[in-house]
Amino acid sequence: MDLKLCNHSSYPRIGDDAEHQLLRRTIAQRDKGEATDDAVRAAQNRMTDLALAEQAEADLDLVTDGQIRWADPISHLAGKLAGVRINGLLRFFDTNCYFRQPVLHGKLERTGPLLLEEFNYAQGKSARPVKAVLTGPYTLTRHSVEEDGGTGGFDKVLEGYTAALAAEVAALAAAGATMIQVEEPALLRHPDDFPYLEHSITALAMSKASAQLALVFYFGDPAPLYDHLQTLPVDLLGFDFTYNPSLVDRIASNGTARTLALGLVDGRNTRLEDPAVIARQLEKLAYGADLSYAFLSPSCGLEYLPRDRAGQKLRHLAAIRKTFLGSTA
Amino acid sequence: MSRAKLQGLGIDLPLFPVTSVGSFPKPDFLVKARGDFAKKKISRGALEKAERQATEFWIRTQEELGVDVLVDGEMYRGDMVAYFAEHIAGFEEGGLVRSYGNRYYHKPIITGEVHWEEPVTVEWWKYARGLTSKPLKGMLTGPYTVMDWSFIEYYPDRRTACLALAKEIRKEVEALIGEGARIIQIDEPAISVRPEELPVAVEAMHMVTDGLPAYFITHICYGAFENIYPSMLDLPVDNFDLEMSNSGLDMLELFKKHRYTKDISFGLVDVHTHVVEDERVVEERLRQALATLPEEAIWVDPDCGLKTRTVEEAIAKMQCVVTAAKALRAVTSDE
Repeated sequence: MDLKLCNHSSYPRIGDDAEHQLLRRTIAQRDKGEATDDAVRAAQNRMTDLALAEQAEADLDLVTDGQIRWADPISHLAGKLAGVRINGLLRFFDTNCYFRQPVLHGKLERTGPLLLEEFNYAQGKSARPVKAVLTGPYTLTRHSVEEDGGTGGFDKVLEGYTAALAAEVAALAAAGATMIQVEEPALLRHPDDFPYLEHSITALAMSKASAQLALVFYFGDPAPLYDHLQTLPVDLLGFDFTYNPSLVDRIASNGTARTLALGLVDGRNTRLEDPAVIARQLEKLAYGADLSYAFLSPSCGLEYLPRDRAGQKLRHLAAIRKTFLGSTA
Repeated sequence: MSRAKLQGLGIDLPLFPVTSVGSFPKPDFLVKARGDFAKKKISRGALEKAERQATEFWIRTQEELGVDVLVDGEMYRGDMVAYFAEHIAGFEEGGLVRSYGNRYYHKPIITGEVHWEEPVTVEWWKYARGLTSKPLKGMLTGPYTVMDWSFIEYYPDRRTACLALAKEIRKEVEALIGEGARIIQIDEPAISVRPEELPVAVEAMHMVTDGLPAYFITHICYGAFENIYPSMLDLPVDNFDLEMSNSGLDMLELFKKHRYTKDISFGLVDVHTHVVEDERVVEERLRQALATLPEEAIWVDPDCGLKTRTVEEAIAKMQCVVTAAKALRAVTSDE
């Protein structure tokens, strides 16, 4: 049996030494008129290189660009679309991180690539496959606000984001992305909206060509929706196990029709998990899922941790896998 | 307004008392001193001298602006949680994590049993109090927010960690009251993010405030208020200091559906934009507050701490708040 390792999505873009503060420093200089946009781009490239190197060092099978260039999970994508302006700060779920809220004032339209340049840069620098990561249309819709209610209501906004991201999925697939991850944490707060998500994710699935499409949930318990999620036209489902320890039992008993990304390592707390405890959870999961195809991952993006701890968590994945494979050998 | 309670504490305030949420930007000389101290170029004593100088600057500035209930400006603090973590046993300093955009903070790690060993803010409160005859708020971060914004390695769960912190933070409140503080603000900006944990936050706030002779304010911001209102009124405080302007005053709609029963410190200016609001816009926000809330219940201030703005922007934004309060006081007294 094998068990693959992957990063979830984001990675700290800062650390506690001068080298890892390059991006913060350069952005601050740019804001004061002392550095150029090109200098910021170079700093972003450098921090992406470091994130890729640390993921390689942790021996991950599937890496990300660390979302180093993202201001936040919402405005980075929405802000590149026509019909959107970016407004004030709001808290992102139950974190102490904030996003800038998109205000929709006209027809949502993708006028150019959103992530293609970032993906191409990271893939060009990595010997390992790079997973492209997108915040999903439903979550973007839930975090946006319409100006004077003049853009057609929830359905129209979701339709606009879906069309824009479907085009981006097609572009990423054409550029060689083998795995495209769509994140929809907002659905866990509004489970009755599953039909909306089903509609939009189906549209994205039709654009993925030969790439694998991963649908990922975090910051909540997916158990109430688990059976519904299994019906969606995606290749992989990813879950955050930190909100409901019994999710392991649910999957063990119900099984899965999809490859799973198992977010068993807490991406929100510095405490390192006991490998033996996670290995026992994996043993249970093996009753319901073929773990030869599964990924072990953090429960969410790692930018919520300090850099040294994020690196520890990534390296811990391999230690957990070793314990698990040892116990099942 | 809990005028009777305030008067019982010896405090008499005008209509629409002007205050601020807590932090002000650090003047350039203090930014430089903090940098020099981090590089070990100056002593702690030299840094504290600069912090005292900056505190005096903000006390004088608030007096000149016409602020009614002053703050010390938190010149000695970096982050609102990390500062307390540095002074309460049981914490280690964690590395930098992002707050938003290009802003980062050191998120503490609870690695042992938390324990209040000596006063944390009291000396600064006493120093600032000696610079003014106006009421001065005591400023603390609440147990729920300290818990939520820390990594928890020692305690088995969040509730246990929160209640342990509440027990220790009460000691700081008692120390402030012992030195004469009569208005104490306990910031809980994290309280709205996990509605299912609001009972824990309420239980913790009872542990901090019950039976103590002070007017208590709690500051909450940048959350999904609709998820915790009206239950948040169960928090045992006299005044909620709320970010209102950044969210387009939409809390007022909630207040129309379910009556708001406490005093409010109403955020009249957005702190996360460099743009200084037009005074007429700010005045109109206060008029909208008056359309829904009793005038006696309303205090006014910015949405949140002003530390991320420049000194000039912070002063200009405070001036807008003072101007709006004075304008509406005049209108009200004419009616």
